Amino acid sequence: MMRSDAEPKARGALEYGTDLEAPGMLWAALVRSPVAHGRIVHMDLAGARKMPGVVAVVGPDDLRTLLPKAALEVERPVFPLQEIRYRGEPVAAVAAETLAQARRAAAAVAVEVESLRVDARIEDIFPEWPSAAAADDPHVVGHVHARHGDVDGKFRTAELVHSETYRTSGVHQVALEPHACLGEIRDGTFCIRTSTQTPFGLREDVASVLGIPEAKLLVEGSWVGGGFGGKGSAFIEPYALLLAVASGRPVKLALTYAEEFELGRTTLPAVIRLDTAVARGRIVARRVRLLLDTGASLPGRDFAVGYSIGFLLGPYRTEAYDIEGYALRTNKPPFGPHRAPFAPQSVFALESHIDGLARRLGADPIEFRKIHAWRENDRTAYDQPVGPFGLEAGLEAAARTAAVWRTGIPAGHGIGVACGFWSTGVGAGGEARLFLQPDGLVILEGEREIGNGSVVRGLSVVAQRVLGLPANAIRIQYGDTATAPFDSGVYGSRTLAALGQAVEKAARALEKTLATRVGAPQVRLETKNGQVLVVSGRRRQKLVDLLTPAERAAGGLEAHGKHYGAEKKVDASRVLEGTVYPYNDFAASVHLVEVAVDRETGHIGIVRYAAFQDVGTAVDRPAVEAQVEGGVVMGLGTALSEEMMWTPDGRLLNPGLLDYRLPRIRDAPPIHVDLIEGFAGAGPFGAKGIGEPPIIPVPAAVANAVADATGTRVFELPLTPERVARALKLL
Amino acid sequence: MSSLVAHRKAINRRPVGVRVSFQLVQPATPEEAVRLLAGASAGQMSVLGGGTDLLIDIDQARASPRQVLSLRKMPWRYLRWEGSSLVVGSTLPLRTLELDRRVQQQLPGLWEAIRDVGSPALRARATLGGNVGRCSPASDLLPMLIALDARVRILGPSGVREHPVDLVLQESRKTNLGPAELIESLIFPSAAPSTYMWQRVQPVNDISQVGVATAYLPDAPHWRIALGGLQPRARRLSEAEAVLRSARPTHLEQELAAQEAARRAEFVSDKRATESYRRRLVAVMVRRALQTTIDRMPRPAAARKPSR
Ligand SMILES: Cc1cc2nc3c(=O)[nH]c(=O)nc-3n(C[C@H](O)[C@H](O)[C@H](O)COP(=O)(O)OP(=O)(O)OC[C@H]3O[C@@H](n4cnc5c(N)ncnc54)[C@H](O)[C@@H]3O)c2cc1C
Repeated sequence: MMRSDAEPKARGALEYGTDLEAPGMLWAALVRSPVAHGRIVHMDLAGARKMPGVVAVVGPDDLRTLLPKAALEVERPVFPLQEIRYRGEPVAAVAAETLAQARRAAAAVAVEVESLRVDARIEDIFPEWPSAAAADDPHVVGHVHARHGDVDGKFRTAELVHSETYRTSGVHQVALEPHACLGEIRDGTFCIRTSTQTPFGLREDVASVLGIPEAKLLVEGSWVGGGFGGKGSAFIEPYALLLAVASGRPVKLALTYAEEFELGRTTLPAVIRLDTAVARGRIVARRVRLLLDTGASLPGRDFAVGYSIGFLLGPYRTEAYDIEGYALRTNKPPFGPHRAPFAPQSVFALESHIDGLARRLGADPIEFRKIHAWRENDRTAYDQPVGPFGLEAGLEAAARTAAVWRTGIPAGHGIGVACGFWSTGVGAGGEARLFLQPDGLVILEGEREIGNGSVVRGLSVVAQRVLGLPANAIRIQYGDTATAPFDSGVYGSRTLAALGQAVEKAARALEKTLATRVGAPQVRLETKNGQVLVVSGRRRQKLVDLLTPAERAAGGLEAHGKHYGAEKKVDASRVLEGTVYPYNDFAASVHLVEVAVDRETGHIGIVRYAAFQDVGTAVDRPAVEAQVEGGVVMGLGTALSEEMMWTPDGRLLNPGLLDYRLPRIRDAPPIHVDLIEGFAGAGPFGAKGIGEPPIIPVPAAVANAVADATGTRVFELPLTPERVARALKLL
Repeated sequence: MSSLVAHRKAINRRPVGVRVSFQLVQPATPEEAVRLLAGASAGQMSVLGGGTDLLIDIDQARASPRQVLSLRKMPWRYLRWEGSSLVVGSTLPLRTLELDRRVQQQLPGLWEAIRDVGSPALRARATLGGNVGRCSPASDLLPMLIALDARVRILGPSGVREHPVDLVLQESRKTNLGPAELIESLIFPSAAPSTYMWQRVQPVNDISQVGVATAYLPDAPHWRIALGGLQPRARRLSEAEAVLRSARPTHLEQELAAQEAARRAEFVSDKRATESYRRRLVAVMVRRALQTTIDRMPRPAAARKPSR
């Protein structure tokens, strides 16, 4: 089945954020801070106002007059009124008739800043591991501590304690399409068209940043040229709307690629310390410490830490543990989610650690994992039940493949395994509206396809499966936040798994209505000569003939479905500080990779790759396989080359794709995708989310393969040739 | 807390991201091109080969020419063997050289250097003339051109001159070409067993951390070792070459030459690699490139029986 968006995308017919236009539109450009930390002493906007083509220039003072209720105590205020908190933070914005005029005027603004001390890196704040008093440090914006069991006792009596520290780097989502939006004020309503994963979430967020009621804001999604977590909450939209208020005209803002990097809401570096106590060949207690750089964030960042730290316990039974993490405010842009937020980084540390521990104990790394792996009905560290979970099956399949790869493996090559879990965001709610017309089914949607197929394909496959309609009889119609049903957005691998449940319910409601009308226990739909037919047993009736006059006048039969997940609970007695993240629906990933390491230069070549992926039910197999392949290649970027490099004074050294190295097609190894089915998830027909799980174990698998090949462990991501060379003590 | 005052200065020149308009001039003959260049005021006219360097410089506001002189109509898109020497027109796309079997066989090092420039799409535009004209310290072609003793034919108002490439290169964006001079062709005097090796974090569209070119030329001094990735530009390392005393140097000699090269090269640390890592790479890669070059030498014609 060809994706319905494939052909128009290939023809360039779909409108992405960067393509948005409106009559009388102005172009915007941002004036950005020259320092990473400081106070604005003086900023002269008068010169820019007089430049050719310039229609509006807004700075902090204008914000106060034009939008007096704009929120200032948010991570991304429109402009900083007090303190500049990262280099490149927007301090003013310009709208002009042409893009060139806007950029020239923005460049002509002089800003005088009193520089303050820059804390750009975790080491600047905590050169040593923080003591108990650290929670009071002004840089600490989140603190989570959870504990269970007799940790100290078990460490005291352990036969062996394995202790290591890992470091990870910032990675960028690198959606091909930069952030782009078009804002305008229509009859007092703030209207924004933007490239977003979450139209409804954005409405809430932008309204609060601008200090306007949500009812006064209309969000319409454009087609999205890649999201990967980077196109969620309010980002550039407030500038376009502020300039629209100031100029009275529609204003378009599209970031340059350098701005994408310098302002982006990306993953930031972390330091992870792991201590594991072993008795009789088994893990008996764990200590986990996490320092998470959250950039210019505000207090209340517990969620980020609580969420990340869970991955550090892994999909393993844990009798006793003590986990503690800090979110640290640094002079970088506020951090944000990147496909499976922080999981690949946490899992790199944990799975490297587990692998090394297994080797130290002389155990087979796969067997060692199996001994500790969650199985259905186990309890998680926070005492949540584990549902159907394909980890053990995945490990067994991986062990068989590893044995085949092992035979005849050349010198210098190594095989690594790593596993991980994901908790699909099935909790977040969504609603579906289906409209069955005489010639086909329409699914009404607020969010656009972001590229992975979960909207154009996933939702339609669910309707197909329930109703029996062929793909070409199903159409998705996109609305804005005023006309489309609510949904939480395309993130957390939830589109098919959660919103799909709403679509499934609506489709079942349609089916039930029609069954009642024809007096059969159930019906199925098919099309003939462009007409929808209702089939019951041997009877076929035209849908038109089954509609009431009112429905006929309205164009068809409408049905609604809602899915709001039940709130999950953790055992609160184990949480001493902050909040930990409750899990939903578990999916397992087990990955295997063979690498060739150049022992003289540290260069890593990826020879072959296999992904064993617990998907519940693959309701759309080609789409699932494509997601796994894409996740692996993206994960190889995190593993081998992607790294945002900051100077101590907070300047990003590589704001572009020349020195921020994304994998290219020539870097993609042969990937064997093995879908493990039969461990049903909460999604329609037992589906589990698949967008994020396949990226999670990749960096760890590669690091473990390098350790297998060389006997040397690399403790920092990414594994660039130079880092590997240092680990191998070549320099 | 320090209270330095920092300024974000008002920029009056063209900022990055603002397109510039220029006039495209397309002379029909080399003579006309030279005449136009000679008549242009200093710094106002840029020469356009494949444009893969120049257009980026214009986009990044590093260059803002009023006029751009295109070499499109120059009769320089050729490749020709004269005996065992190869003459390459300066505007021939690299891709044509890459697809040429004879180039691959007779100048394997040149072929290797070309094959991994950018991507296939880029090589369909990029030219040898442009690579010399840009004189990038990171160029993958210049070390090989130097190692092969390539000569540059230059056309200018006072006719044609020809120099070894080493004498034409200066530093990044700077050559010894006069303002009205153009590179007409490059001449590779002879076929030669040769090897080019690079290391990059990624194979495609990345900048080499170091590049190593080795060649064994028919004329003395036979062995040539040139490096790229160093400041101010690629250069030969005669001290390392001097260690190699025969056509088939021993492993020890290869190792010594490699170490000499690593010691002598002027590397710097930057975001792509530290100085010490670059040295390490050179020590490994020179040794490997020498061995590969030796392996590429024709076997002695009459294989003598081992005498006891
Ligand atoms: C994505 C990308 C990847 C790249 N990868 C590599 C790589 O791997 N290795 C590498 O070495 N380079 C690489 N480059 C750089 C570039 O492609 C090469 O330097 C190329 O050879 C330049 O040739 P050109 O014809 O495009 O030059 P142009 O851009 O046309 O010209 C470059 C300079 O030379 C001058 N010039 C051009 N032709 C002549 C002539 N006939 N006479 C006198 N002056 C002339 C121009 O005025 C200009 O100053 C890459 C560039 C890009 C954009």
